[in-house]
Amino acid sequence: MVELKNNELIFNFPQVHPHASCRLDFQKTLRIPDDNREYELPPGLGSFAMEHTDDHVSKIPKDWSEHGGVFLPMYQSEALWINFSGAAGPYGRDYPFAVKIATGKINAVTGESWSDKLVKNPQDYLVVPDQPWLDGYCVKKGLIRQFVAMPLGKGYTAEEQLTGEATHGGLQVIVYPMKRERYEAMQKENRKMFSGDVCYSMNMVSEALPMGLAPGGLMRQKIYEDEYGFDVWDQQHSSRCFIHILNSSQWETITGRPVPGKSPSATDYTQAGLPWFEYYNDKLNAISGPEKLSGLDSVAAKGIKLGEEPLDQNDPVYPQNIQKLSSAKNQVTDGKW
Amino acid sequence: MKQFGDHIRKKRETLRKDDKSFSLRQVAVRLGIEPAYLSKIERNVFPPPSEEVIQKLAPMLDEDADILLAMAGKLSTDLQRIILERPTLFAEVIRELKKAPNHAILRITREVRDGKW
Repeated sequence: MVELKNNELIFNFPQVHPHASCRLDFQKTLRIPDDNREYELPPGLGSFAMEHTDDHVSKIPKDWSEHGGVFLPMYQSEALWINFSGAAGPYGRDYPFAVKIATGKINAVTGESWSDKLVKNPQDYLVVPDQPWLDGYCVKKGLIRQFVAMPLGKGYTAEEQLTGEATHGGLQVIVYPMKRERYEAMQKENRKMFSGDVCYSMNMVSEALPMGLAPGGLMRQKIYEDEYGFDVWDQQHSSRCFIHILNSSQWETITGRPVPGKSPSATDYTQAGLPWFEYYNDKLNAISGPEKLSGLDSVAAKGIKLGEEPLDQNDPVYPQNIQKLSSAKNQVTDGKW
Repeated sequence: MKQFGDHIRKKRETLRKDDKSFSLRQVAVRLGIEPAYLSKIERNVFPPPSEEVIQKLAPMLDEDADILLAMAGKLSTDLQRIILERPTLFAEVIRELKKAPNHAILRITREVRDGKW
């Protein structure tokens, strides 16, 4: 079952194990410059607000209602990252999950079309909590292209570049828990170690373009290989959710509430001396980026081909304040200032 | 039943092992209360603090605010408002659910509906 609580999606599998709870939230962040330089990890600037589609059935397009799920607001060319967390069981070990993420029903790890099943080779899922977050499409080993919101129908989104169609938009997530017996075996091993509402015209919304995600600037981030092995995932139990993305005016029309302010630009943020981040986990191997995704045009490159300028404030930045995060509960260490 | 003070002291001290900012003094400063007051709460000399303080403390200690409030014998303002709108009905529902297993209770919490993609 999936719940929406405090702008977090909570995937619970009480029928598998009481600790089997996986949380996802969508973080506002800086849009890194789309200039083919490689950037560090930008900060999280708070969660995007989310609403149940079922609460606004009279004001949303019919197909959104058919999809179910939730929706969130993004400004055009705004960026997001996905934050994963779990409910720590005893002995400090979070319950592991296999999580598939797609945008416009294009898998963000492999570039393949959506399927509900897990695929072993090439691995088409992330392993949480080993993978603490995902900022974009896996384009190369250790490199991603940031998720950037663009209107569907303009040709920028990964979905349109790979399928030639602007049909789905949004984000899609499916979560599989680890098999109970495998988790309990891991717990035993750990235990040993420890013994130490407004009315609007429906047309206004249904005619507006929904949003999709497109590949933005390059960022150093590894997508980790599954270290547990494919057989540990409980494919008899899964939960999935469709996250629709709407623009700020659609959000205001549907919910009657204003959208929170825009994130600062990467330039303003960096000039203020605020931190960027590097994440290290030397124990895990990174998977390679698939050709399908590495061949995508970034928003800036696509804009040049289309004779458009889709991104404002796209100047390079040179972060000096970089903080290192380790895999041990994402602890922050001081870096080079 | 475990006392509120014992619980938060244990949790804070666990966090302090890895992060010195979880000292009694620094947590009290972040909560906007006197360290001596927090110390007395942790030792169960004083009763649990206000809802406002507990709501600030819960995310700091990576705890669920509803659980901490329940341990403090309190009900969050939003839950009080919800119950007061239909007190008889909610009292009846809660009593009915008293013996229900966890998975049955989870089933009546609101799910995000999955549809046809």
